[in-house]
Amino acid sequence: MRNTSLLSCLLLAGCIASGQPAYKPPSGPTPRTASGKVDFSGVWQKPYAPDMTKVGGADSKPMELPFTEWGLGEWKSYHPEDGDYTGACLPFGLSRSINTPEPMQIVQTEKYFTLLFEQNNWYTVVPIDGRKHREIDPTWFGDSVGRWEGDTLVIDTVNFNGKTRLDTIGHPHSDQLHYIQRYSRPDLGHITWEVTIDDPKTYTKPWKNTRTFTLRTDWEMMEYSCEENNKSLWEGRIKIPKQ
Amino acid sequence: MNSGIRAAGLLALIAVALPAIAHHSFSAEFNDKTTITLTGAVTKVEWFNPHIWVYLDVKDAEGKPQHWQCEGGAPNTLVRNGWTKNSLKQGEEITIDGYLAKDGSKTCNARKVTLADGKNVFAGSSAPTAK
Repeated sequence: MRNTSLLSCLLLAGCIASGQPAYKPPSGPTPRTASGKVDFSGVWQKPYAPDMTKVGGADSKPMELPFTEWGLGEWKSYHPEDGDYTGACLPFGLSRSINTPEPMQIVQTEKYFTLLFEQNNWYTVVPIDGRKHREIDPTWFGDSVGRWEGDTLVIDTVNFNGKTRLDTIGHPHSDQLHYIQRYSRPDLGHITWEVTIDDPKTYTKPWKNTRTFTLRTDWEMMEYSCEENNKSLWEGRIKIPKQ
Repeated sequence: MNSGIRAAGLLALIAVALPAIAHHSFSAEFNDKTTITLTGAVTKVEWFNPHIWVYLDVKDAEGKPQHWQCEGGAPNTLVRNGWTKNSLKQGEEITIDGYLAKDGSKTCNARKVTLADGKNVFAGSSAPTAK
């Protein structure tokens, strides 16, 4: 994790060249809402996860994924030069939105847990008041509901349209994906985040990623228009995937 | 294009971490096996999401300018790390180390942007491994 952060700093951000001081998150106890629930509100820095098999960071040995025959075929036949949906500014979907290096803001009330992604300014609103999944048509971000398991908030998402990929490198999933996030906040400055990828059409058994998000009290969310200067699409170097 | 590459004296085969791009797959557009070093004068900087673009004129063997364009990181990330749209000025002499686009155009992904005095700006476009 530490190596990943340093590499991201050097390559992604140029922190040293620009003379930016190293950031230290605030310390303190886990904050809570008036009703005593853990409060996850804040602007969060997430580690960039372009390849979810490299759970220890960019230089780590990739884990082997338990592909089904269908899943392996999807993985081997993926060629982003033939069509790249995020390059075409179509919705990233839930997994790739969380994987981006851009921050996300969590806005939490008693009824809702809202993830505001800076990447393309997408968002997803998660009811956490005990309701069940809706009966609606499949979507890019799926349908999410949340429940508390002690101090951990579990967000359960189903009903994906199957048009997205799990990560930038293109690991596949199907419309049967069950994406389960677990949020805990061990202290003021950090979220421990875990996701379980449960997709029986693509993988023979569920698999996980665990990451740490860092509270950025020095950041505010910014506008991010994917369409404003997407030259690569306009000039034909990136293609819109066939649906 | 070949003359532009030769004129800059270039095509370095450097083993470095790939620049990865959150907005799109790196390999959709660029070839990680074809690195290039371009030296020339900045003609324009576009400071918009999803990527900044730096335009520069690289002189070929006959001294004629070859127009190149190179993709950088997202402005939001660059701003958070202290860079602004004025960090690079029109007419400034720079060297870009990057990766060539697959379509054969004079387009690159900028891994490193270096000023004439050796100072780096924008410090690459993103994080590694998403080919």
